[in-house]
Amino acid sequence: MKRRSSILILFIIATLLIAGCQQQAAAPEQGYLGTIKEKGTLVVGTSADYPPYESVDPTGSFVGFDIDLITEIGKRMGVEVEVKDMAFDALIAAVQEKKVDVVIAAMQASPEREEKVDFSIPYHFQKDAFIVAGDSTLALNSPMDAAGHSIGVQTGTIQEKWVLDNLVPKGTSENQIFRYERVDQGALDVAAGRVEILFINADPAQKMADDLGLKVALVTSETVIGGQSIALPEGETALKAELDKYINELENEGFIQQLQEKWGIP
Amino acid sequence: MEFLKDLIFLINYLLQGTGVTLGVTLIALSMGFLFGTLLAVMRVYGSKPVARFAAVYSTLIRAVPVVVLIFILFFVIAKIVDLSPFLSGALALGFASAAYQSEVFRGAILSIPAGQMLAARAIGMSRLKAIRYIILPQAIRLAIPPWSNEAAIVLKDSSLVFVIGVPEILRRAQYVSARTLEPFIAFGAAAAIYFALTFLANRSLDFFERRYRILM
Repeated sequence: MKRRSSILILFIIATLLIAGCQQQAAAPEQGYLGTIKEKGTLVVGTSADYPPYESVDPTGSFVGFDIDLITEIGKRMGVEVEVKDMAFDALIAAVQEKKVDVVIAAMQASPEREEKVDFSIPYHFQKDAFIVAGDSTLALNSPMDAAGHSIGVQTGTIQEKWVLDNLVPKGTSENQIFRYERVDQGALDVAAGRVEILFINADPAQKMADDLGLKVALVTSETVIGGQSIALPEGETALKAELDKYINELENEGFIQQLQEKWGIP
Repeated sequence: MEFLKDLIFLINYLLQGTGVTLGVTLIALSMGFLFGTLLAVMRVYGSKPVARFAAVYSTLIRAVPVVVLIFILFFVIAKIVDLSPFLSGALALGFASAAYQSEVFRGAILSIPAGQMLAARAIGMSRLKAIRYIILPQAIRLAIPPWSNEAAIVLKDSSLVFVIGVPEILRRAQYVSARTLEPFIAFGAAAAIYFALTFLANRSLDFFERRYRILM
C-alpha cells in the first residue's frame, strides 16, 4: 500500500516537472514583444478595486489613471489593450505564467517582486498618507511618530512592509497592526474607532477621508522607496525597452501630468 | 427615491454576475456528482487498491483549500491543457466537490442494508447491475438532504473564482464597494442574491426529496 501512494506522488511530481519545462518556447530577438505584436493585443492584468488608479465604473468598464495610461501605451505600440481583473495577490504569478502580458496596478517595484518579474521605469512617484479619525488628537509630525499606536495597512503592500521594518523596532507590537484585504475596509475601521491610524498610498487618501469624515494627518514621501511601474515577464528586454520608451515619451509630452490632473492624483 | 433607484441599479448590476455564479456552480456540482458517485462506489465495492485510491483522493482533496486547487489548475495544469479562467475555476470546484460528495454518497450506500446486495446476487444479478439498479437508486434518494448542504456550499464557494479574474456576484459587489465606499449596501445586496439562490435550490431539492421518498 505504501508503495502505491509513493508511485502516485512520483507521478504528480513528474507532471509538475514536465509542466515546468514547457514554458521555454520560441524566443527570437524581439522575444515576447514579438508575440504580443503578432497577436495584436496586449493583455493587461490589474486589480480593479483601487480608485482613482483602477476601478470599474457603473457601466462595467475599467477606468482610472493606470487604465488610461496603458491604453495610450497600447495605442502607440499598435495593439489593442484587453484588461483582465484579478486579485492583487494573483497578479505577480499571472505575469510569471504569462496569463497576462503586463500588470499595471499602482504597483511599486520592490526587491521581493523584482526577483520574480521585471519592471518598467516608474511612471509615477507617489506619496504615502496617514489617516486618522476626524476628532483624533494624535500629532503626526513625522512618520516615526506613528510608533506605538494601532495602525492599519493593506496586506501585501509596501506600506505593510514599511511598518514592519520601521515601526515594529520602535515599539509597535504585532497585535497593533491590522491588515486589510482592501484599504476601504481599513478606513471604515478608523471611522469606527477600532484602529487609530490607517497608513496607505496618498492618492486615494483625501477622497476616502472626505467621504468618511476622517482627516489626513500627514502626507509624506519619506516612506516611499520606489515609484509605480509596469510589471512584465522576467528577461523580456525588448518589451521592457518598448514600455520604457513610451513612458518617457508620455512623460515628456506632459500626457502623464494631464492624467494626474484628470484623476486628481498628486 | 434616489436611494431606491441606486439600489435597483446595484441589484441589477450584481445580477449580471449571477450567470457566472450559476455556471460555475452547475458545472462543479454535476462534475462532483458524477465523480463523487463513482468514487463512493469504488470506495465501498472496489478491490483494495481501487478503494484505497478513492480514499486517498478524498482525504487529499478535502485537505487542500479550494483556492489552492484553483491556483494549481490555473497556473500549473493550464500550462499543459488550455483552460480559460472560468473553466479552471469551475473544474477546481468540481474536483473539490467530488471529494465531499463521495463521502455523502458513501454514507448513503452504507446505509442500504447489506442483505439487499446478497439478495440481488442470489437472483443472478451481477454486482454492477445490482449497484446500478438496486443500491444507487436508493442511495441517491437518501443522499438528498446532505447533498443540499453541499449544493449551498458550492454555490457560495463559486465566489472564489474571482481570484483568477472571473467577476461573479461577490467581485462585482467589491467593485461597487471600492467605488462608493458603502460596503454594507453593496455586500448586503450580494447577500440577498445568494440567499435567494440558496433558498430556491433548497426548495427544489426538498421537492425532489418528498417526491422520491423511500417508504420504509
